[in-house]
Amino acid sequence: MKRVLIVGSGASGVHFAQTALEHGAQVTMLDVGRVAPAPVLPDASFARFKREHADPAGYFLGSKFESVLFPGAKGEYYGFPPHKGFIFAPLERFRMRASGFDPLTSFARGGLAEAWTGGSFPFNAQELADFTLGPEGLLANYGRVAARIGISGADDDLSRFTPVHEHLAPGLPLDPHSAQLFERYGREREHLNTRLGAWMGRTRAAVRADDREGRNGCTNLGRCLWSCPREALYTPSLTLRALLKHERFTYLSGRHVARFEADESNRVRRVRAVELATGREEVHEVESLVLAAGTLASAKLFLDSLRAHGGRAPALAGLMDNRQVLVPFVNLAMLRRRYQSDSYQYHQLAMGFERPDPRHYVHGLVTTLKTALIHPIVQSVPFDLKSALWIFRNAHAALGIVNVNFHDDRRPGNRVELEADGDSTRLVVQYAPSNDEPERMKAALATVKKALSKLGCVVPPGMAHVRPMGASVHYAGTLPMSATRAPLTTSPAGESHDIAGLYFADGTTFPFLPAKNLTFTLMANADRIAQAWARA
Amino acid sequence: MADRATLERECAAFARYLGAGAGDAYVTEQYVAAHEAGVVELPGTTGFERSVVALARALPWSLRALDAHARVFGNGSLLRRKLVLLLAILETRAPHDEALDTPTAGSNLGMFVRMAWLGAVFATLVVVTALLLLPVRVVSLAGGAR
Repeated sequence: MKRVLIVGSGASGVHFAQTALEHGAQVTMLDVGRVAPAPVLPDASFARFKREHADPAGYFLGSKFESVLFPGAKGEYYGFPPHKGFIFAPLERFRMRASGFDPLTSFARGGLAEAWTGGSFPFNAQELADFTLGPEGLLANYGRVAARIGISGADDDLSRFTPVHEHLAPGLPLDPHSAQLFERYGREREHLNTRLGAWMGRTRAAVRADDREGRNGCTNLGRCLWSCPREALYTPSLTLRALLKHERFTYLSGRHVARFEADESNRVRRVRAVELATGREEVHEVESLVLAAGTLASAKLFLDSLRAHGGRAPALAGLMDNRQVLVPFVNLAMLRRRYQSDSYQYHQLAMGFERPDPRHYVHGLVTTLKTALIHPIVQSVPFDLKSALWIFRNAHAALGIVNVNFHDDRRPGNRVELEADGDSTRLVVQYAPSNDEPERMKAALATVKKALSKLGCVVPPGMAHVRPMGASVHYAGTLPMSATRAPLTTSPAGESHDIAGLYFADGTTFPFLPAKNLTFTLMANADRIAQAWARA
Repeated sequence: MADRATLERECAAFARYLGAGAGDAYVTEQYVAAHEAGVVELPGTTGFERSVVALARALPWSLRALDAHARVFGNGSLLRRKLVLLLAILETRAPHDEALDTPTAGSNLGMFVRMAWLGAVFATLVVVTALLLLPVRVVSLAGGAR
């Protein structure tokens, strides 16, 4: 029986584990594994929750009011609520500093994808061209993961950019604002397609409308941002929970993996972890080791191990992340209507924007404003608060936002490396956008605004918000897969070209980052790597 | 920080201004708790900002004008922080959330006309309060109140 030790329980780790178990392997997973708080009033809608919860301010704003967005304060609207604080809580043992980048890491069960908004857009052939995957690509893996986690969407105009895989369930019912936009798109389709290269379709999301195999379907509670209390919106911790029932799966939480060790032939042999509660060091003998801790945490573990082994760790070049720009809009046809609170809260539509180079495709997630905390928006209206409230309440149902995503390439200056920090080390992250980014963004945003205008929407001037690099949490590219054996790369099957038996199942190995959320592809790629590992 | 009774009065007056009646015991409790947690009045708060809040408490009918002034000349000032805090608390609590976030009756044309009117009133209030509050600002500066 093959045995494997996996570090991390995020999107990549749990799907590698599941595939490995399906192939008869013995799987051990080491994880810090912070646990989510239990769901509160799991069947209550957003409106009912406010009526029935004894301390709604404590729930939505935090016990120390940390989620109140005061005027002039830093912070993004749709920031993470107190309920999700466990996802991004730092770990003292993991030290990092960054330049030009706002990195986020997670030590939660399920990892960063516990905060996933469910966008599941497969990469197409052009986007996978550098992945050295062979003609089969990832389509079968997307289908396998979709069968596991539940993906909804439709085969529509966006399929020209996002391949259709097996097990795609019908999309959720559209909220009235999204339905109005989609209907308008149908009328303006020819102009948008031919003149602007803009296409619209149903979003692909990791949520289903129907109950299925022990998972609840979405009942439109409007509480997605605060973690779906019915667990209809997929997160990796759901897969982890299922894995825990498997007899060949061992989960050791409360562990921080410090480093691995290799023998004289550069084959990985053991892992050194620290039990966080006691500070006690543990040694785990390994046959195969899979790093799935997320691109930054996996990089630090890899570099710390090389440093302990040989004295000096190299820099890992090629860090990537998607630049995101938030473009708010007002749909004039929806003014003065009552917003629908009982609705799936996240994006229900998506837009694709053709570019001359298909790899530079621009992707937009269209989220109409439904349930939300309103004080961050109301205070931004340039009036006194009483007048601002009057304007907002009449415009609420007409408001929306397009989250515009841009691709990224591996560039040598964007890198991670170690620096000494007392008797420990710190990960140093350096990032600078490409020189042509301002020009690319300007051209794409002009198209986005024209498309919205054609859909009857107004973009308030000066309101587009360029998110800082790092904010999208789509990190990748530090040890890319390569068909050619070279240092600091991996094989197409995710195995390190430097250390035998060491695999990377997370975004570390991506050689290119298209303008799409990578989480679904992380899972599909982990499934592919696990199959290759199991068959090797 | 003001005493509890003052904060309770302030909460009721500010809630009326925002269109949520006088709030309720829970809202008041949360409003006081936020002040006690130290998230409202920051170390750099000036005497002028405190004077504006005192004026708003004493003359609740002037709140809209003082808020308009603060929106332009001190968006992160004490009065704005208190108002935004209260709005955040009210929106989490039924039935205030409904009172704050239900569209009014009328046509789109009527809405745009009303918005134009609100803009004109806002501009007027900003100008008037800038003049009226000038002495208060000067006195605060002269007193070096911090």
